Amino acid sequence: MDKSERFFEAMGDKISNRINKKKRFYFNVKNEDLREVVNYLFKTMGCRLSTATGMEMYHGLEILYHFSDDNTGIYFCPRVIIKDKDHPKVKSIVPIVKGAEWIEREIFDFWGIEFEDHPRMERLLALHHPQNLKEPYRFRRSSIGNSCSGESCGLKEPYRFGRES
Amino acid sequence: MTINKIPIGPFHPLLEEAEYFELKVDGETVVDIDMEIGWMHRGHEFISEMKTFTQSIYLVERICGICSTSHPLACVHAIEDIDNIEIPIRARYIRTLVGELERIHSHLLWLGLAGHFIGYDTLWMWVWKYREPVLQMFEIISGNRNHYGMMRVGGVAKDVDPVSIPDLKKNLDMLDKKMVMVANVVRDDPVLRSRLKGVGVLSHDDAVAYCATGPTSRASGVPWDVRRDEPTDAYDLVDFEVIVLQNGDVYDKMVLRVLEVIESVKIIRQCLEKLKTVQGSILNNVKEISPGEGIGIYEAPRGEVFHYIRSDGTNRPIRHKVRAPSFVNIPTYTVSCKGIPVADALITLASVDPCYCCTERSLKVVNKENDPCSIDLLKISREKTERIRREINGSK
Repeated sequence: MDKSERFFEAMGDKISNRINKKKRFYFNVKNEDLREVVNYLFKTMGCRLSTATGMEMYHGLEILYHFSDDNTGIYFCPRVIIKDKDHPKVKSIVPIVKGAEWIEREIFDFWGIEFEDHPRMERLLALHHPQNLKEPYRFRRSSIGNSCSGESCGLKEPYRFGRES
Repeated sequence: MTINKIPIGPFHPLLEEAEYFELKVDGETVVDIDMEIGWMHRGHEFISEMKTFTQSIYLVERICGICSTSHPLACVHAIEDIDNIEIPIRARYIRTLVGELERIHSHLLWLGLAGHFIGYDTLWMWVWKYREPVLQMFEIISGNRNHYGMMRVGGVAKDVDPVSIPDLKKNLDMLDKKMVMVANVVRDDPVLRSRLKGVGVLSHDDAVAYCATGPTSRASGVPWDVRRDEPTDAYDLVDFEVIVLQNGDVYDKMVLRVLEVIESVKIIRQCLEKLKTVQGSILNNVKEISPGEGIGIYEAPRGEVFHYIRSDGTNRPIRHKVRAPSFVNIPTYTVSCKGIPVADALITLASVDPCYCCTERSLKVVNKENDPCSIDLLKISREKTERIRREINGSK
């Protein structure tokens, strides 16, 4: 049994909507299970956190973490979906992965997602922005964005994105 | 204990780019450091969502003047990852050739700057002199000394002319000899050794905890290198050694980069040999990108460049995430700067080869009354020209 199979067996039903691609695994994780999954990936398997991507979808916000297993070149990508767009909150993984501090601050900056238990939950790039931004950057996107049906993306989830018509 | 704060930046004669550091010092010793970024407004991630896939490659090429192959390479890898697109073998060698040339010129640029920062200007002038033939090689291959415009989804844009290979090899032979000399200088010079040994140490555990990449982590004994761990392009077809050192200080980071240059020369030599014999297409015709998501990585000179692209089946990405290596390497200052004298702070800050243009690729200034998406730069330029013309005519 290889490492990835051991991981999926250990995590059991904490993982859903798994998409397997060549050397890539995308899967959904609930907010309450996130730290356990990250702990297994980072500490037990020795994966490295490359980064995390914030995204806005039609029904909520999404954070996609990218963990690289450098021995095999496989990427494990847990995805957390936050449905409450008005007060988006997710557990911080900084207590497990120190390197996530700036990554989470940047997501907070742009997407307004608050990370619980983050040691320094403040803006990263727009801390002293000349326009003293009061709201996350994503509100700007939605004002000029349009929507995608989502079904064509193969993810069965419609989401909104900024794009010139 | 009295703690004083020394502000450096955001605009400071010693800093090439705008960044702000606050050193907390007890006497001469740095006890803590705070960093603030966000002084450069780029907006690349957002702009990319309004461009086609091919236009995005040109856009990300302009994230950084030094990594102007690494970002496009990671970008095309991400797009190709969506559909598992195969690359012609000749294009794979050309991509590797250009990528390794970039590694040489970036490492030499850093080495010169490091020499300059510690007052060793002889090293700076030598190394930058030897960087010049590398830029000439770029000009021979792509027509440009920087921003080469070589990468395409499915291959490369320009072939390497077989007639130019002897010229490239001639430059490479010269560079090889000089790099061996520089490697000996860096390892034997008592000035460099006494100035840099034991300065700004990043331990193995800290490098892992902060997820540092590239020379920053490899100098601390962490043997991660995308070129070997997840080989793309022709990296699984050439022989090279991943350099790993153990001490994690600035000296090891310097030695590691020089040794990597020598390895890059070896790789380029193999690529040029193969390009003499391997014939065929350089570009697979990719007509459309399927819906889905893709991850593209490349071992840039500073570490792993990461691009994530999500497609909905149209000709534009709906999300394009870029993470430059400096974004994960800069936070390691928190540990590497602690306990060092103030005089060593600058070279320690420079030791990860930080690039703030890459780090701050996503922020932009938004004016609610005048959205940047609707700003017509050409119109503004014409209006300014007209105003100046009227002023000149009025003064006559």
